[in-house]
Amino acid sequence: MTFSRRDFIKTAGLTLGALTTLPSWVYDAQAATGALIDVNKNNLADIALSTAKKLGATYADIRINRYRLESVSTRERQVQNVSSGQNFGFGVRVLIKGTWGFAASPIVTAQEVERVTREAAAIARANSVYQRRKIELAPAPKVVASWKSSFQKDPFDVPVDDKIQFLLKLNEAALAVKGVSFVNSSMAWVNEQKFLATSDGSRIEQYLIRGNPTFTVTATDRATGDFQTRSSLVEAQSAGYEYIETTDWLAEAKRAGEEAVMKLKAKTVEPGKYDLVLHPSHLFLTIHESVGHPTELDRALLWEANYAGTSFLTPDKTGKLQFGSKIVNFVADRTQPAGLATVAYDDEGVEAQKWHIVKDGVFVDWQTTRDLAPLIGKNKSYGCLHADSWGSVPFPRMPNVSLEPAKGNVSTDDLIAGVDKGIMIFGRGSYSIDQQRYNFQFGGQTFWEIKNGKIEGMLRDVAYQSRTTDFWGACDALGGQSTYLIPGTFNDGKGEPSQSNAVSHGCPSARFRQINVLNTAAKTQG
Amino acid sequence: MLLTEKESKSITDKILSLVKADDATVSVSSDKLSHLRFAHNTFLTSGQRESRGANITVWIEGKRGTSSTNDLDDASLKAMVDEAERIARLAPVDREYLPTLGKQTYKPVNAYVDATANISVTARAKAVGDIITECEKNKVIGAGFHQARAQAGGFATKNGNFGFDSSTNVSLSMTARTLDGSSSGYFLRSHFDVGRLDTKSIAREAVRKAIEGRNAKTIEPGVYTVILEPQAVADLLSGLAFGFDARSAEEGRSAYSAAGGKTRLGEKIFDERVSIYSDPWNPDLPGSQSAQGGIPAQRIYLVKNGVLENLIYSRFWAKRAGKEPTPGPVNSIMETTAPISAPEDMIKSTKRGILISRFWYIRSTDPRTQSLTGLTRDGVWYIENGKIQYPLKNLRFNQSIIQMLAPGNVEMVGTSERVGGSEGGNASLLPTLKLKAFNFTSQSEAV
Repeated sequence: MTFSRRDFIKTAGLTLGALTTLPSWVYDAQAATGALIDVNKNNLADIALSTAKKLGATYADIRINRYRLESVSTRERQVQNVSSGQNFGFGVRVLIKGTWGFAASPIVTAQEVERVTREAAAIARANSVYQRRKIELAPAPKVVASWKSSFQKDPFDVPVDDKIQFLLKLNEAALAVKGVSFVNSSMAWVNEQKFLATSDGSRIEQYLIRGNPTFTVTATDRATGDFQTRSSLVEAQSAGYEYIETTDWLAEAKRAGEEAVMKLKAKTVEPGKYDLVLHPSHLFLTIHESVGHPTELDRALLWEANYAGTSFLTPDKTGKLQFGSKIVNFVADRTQPAGLATVAYDDEGVEAQKWHIVKDGVFVDWQTTRDLAPLIGKNKSYGCLHADSWGSVPFPRMPNVSLEPAKGNVSTDDLIAGVDKGIMIFGRGSYSIDQQRYNFQFGGQTFWEIKNGKIEGMLRDVAYQSRTTDFWGACDALGGQSTYLIPGTFNDGKGEPSQSNAVSHGCPSARFRQINVLNTAAKTQG
Repeated sequence: MLLTEKESKSITDKILSLVKADDATVSVSSDKLSHLRFAHNTFLTSGQRESRGANITVWIEGKRGTSSTNDLDDASLKAMVDEAERIARLAPVDREYLPTLGKQTYKPVNAYVDATANISVTARAKAVGDIITECEKNKVIGAGFHQARAQAGGFATKNGNFGFDSSTNVSLSMTARTLDGSSSGYFLRSHFDVGRLDTKSIAREAVRKAIEGRNAKTIEPGVYTVILEPQAVADLLSGLAFGFDARSAEEGRSAYSAAGGKTRLGEKIFDERVSIYSDPWNPDLPGSQSAQGGIPAQRIYLVKNGVLENLIYSRFWAKRAGKEPTPGPVNSIMETTAPISAPEDMIKSTKRGILISRFWYIRSTDPRTQSLTGLTRDGVWYIENGKIQYPLKNLRFNQSIIQMLAPGNVEMVGTSERVGGSEGGNASLLPTLKLKAFNFTSQSEAV
């Protein structure tokens, strides 16, 4: 038996005592998706959790989630595609005899919830026969709450035509630059409507909006067969359509066009040691790969050994290992405004938190979930569990991991002024790092030669290679708050089956001494 | 439950009956995924997910809109069609629109096995339990992933075409690490028939590599002769067959563009020992019966004996260029017409070189030369005077694929095997390759 959304709200109020009213955005969400949301999630949760208990589960949860997606893509003066979609379903997770089982379905009915819960239990039981070490969970307090991410203008309320016109104008701004041959642009919007119920008594509704506007300009030299690209330096954020309206995209597109053309004639880099000044539009991805991933506790405990890899960090190094120079402080933060990994609660009901991972250059703490925390003697999770869909098994994912800025008023120019021979790098380019996060190589979008404290001109074919702790140990200056940005990436892959996570890394401009730079266009064979 | 051909046809007919637009293409899909992940010699997560979806693209007076849903009831399908038509009315004219295809004839592909689609969770649990026991006996720490997937669905157009595809795939990947963390081995294989997946031999090979990889030494980076096992070839080249896009080549922004606004079509771009083709009916690597745009797939060569034989023309770009659209690729097969070499013979013929099991975190550094960077992982050995001498620590490479496969750099080619890329992607049929020169740029202490 199903109930309407408004019946659910009444029932929820009676059952839980805390949800006597829900915020208006819940009604807005219903309006946006019409009759399609006509299920009583609370009732379905009761069925899943009571069935799991009867089948011997010591813990169970159910997530009933809807995902709305909209994307518009264009090239030059034409629209390539406009698409809109929605995806709705549920996943049940059970812990039986210390073994996880999970099952999921897009058919959101009482009968199917019971069938799928039985299926999850059957999988857990089959595997428990051969289980070597039982999974244990850190406790989490019961929570009954609802939350909406921070945005001013819901992008799903903005007419498609406005989005098309915006992208075509952006393309024109780039194409107006002499020498630009092509421009591809797109924007993607995601709305997650997440419901979680756990056997600990938690019932949580969350509503999130994320946006990913991006473009790439290409300049070609048909005579020589050469071509160069320059992609947007503005990255994805947890934000509404105001992100489009408050950023000067046309100036950024024009600048991208000019720089793509400039790259065709830029000086190719001479390999060697350089001081690097890294802009936040570039540095965020270096942080992601060299700081975010090695401080995931599941990697350190070999859970990712078969795919994403392990970590050079191990629990015995906590509080001891000198990760970087003394000015380097990293915070993990699931509460950071505009952060793509910002939530109120994770996917097992643990409240979002902020904590130091590296303090005064020393590695001090991990990213944890309820099944990881007990393995290092902790009785509390930091709330890093996440699934990218109702159909995916939730597992440890990265929070926003951000580099704290200098306390003083240090500008990017101040950092450049202290460099005799160096390179400043903007934007995300090629990025590659080994499976334990020691050795990495990063490229960028634009590269600028620094000589005697000043930017001299553009370079091309630049990548730098380093070792994580050497690199962060070579960080001798940070920009202040005025240089701080919070770029993010929509699609961080990890896990098996592989899942995608959206995550941001706030950071100021930063300077690194004597880093090895190579030329990516150099002849590779003698 | 997976959709049958009859059910798929019924749903696509229903969707098309709701369409008021001038033209439309629709698809309906169903998917069943069952998986088990283990690590540190214990079970981690395991689950099953069924999903399905429908998608429509419509054109109204040449204006295009797309919408999708994962709810297949009548109201949701109608909402999906309405949404696509609403978008199309708002969109500017799609200048690349071509009328959708009329009825086509597809030659069936044998890619589905029921036992794979309905895999036994108890049998799988036992197979993985046995693998963990083997790891414990050999004093290694095992991690791995077993997954079985089945997909079925149909596609149709307003102009009368309909097709149905069903396929299965089952794979096991496994990593073994020594207890001291000094060595790691990996092996991955897949098949569409679960009866053809030998889980024990996959585990045995991963364990062997871990044990034989102990006491690895460092080697200076530089240019070396390399022997790449099929897994390493897959990690580098499993997407190669899909990169021969005609449009980007003719627009001057591809490795297959040439000076003066031309392309490299007809040029000998690779060594004559290398041929790359797609064959939907290959018995070990069946592909889809339909290629891009729904045209019936055919066996096609991209590279034949080193010569760039075909660039891939979409329906739109083909019409603009006055050519036929390319009926593929739908899978990726690399073979040689030269005599096949056994891996042992490759080693015997190597004076000084490196044997590589796998690559990792491969990213493009320069699309003009298809230059890549990445690292070796889970098994590297030093060869001298025709023999494997000792294991090596990992290395980072920076290497152009165009130069790697260039005439003169491919010395020997082995038998092609079905292997999947370890960072994802579909399986390919790829051989062991012996390459004269391969460029390593730094060392990595990662295990």
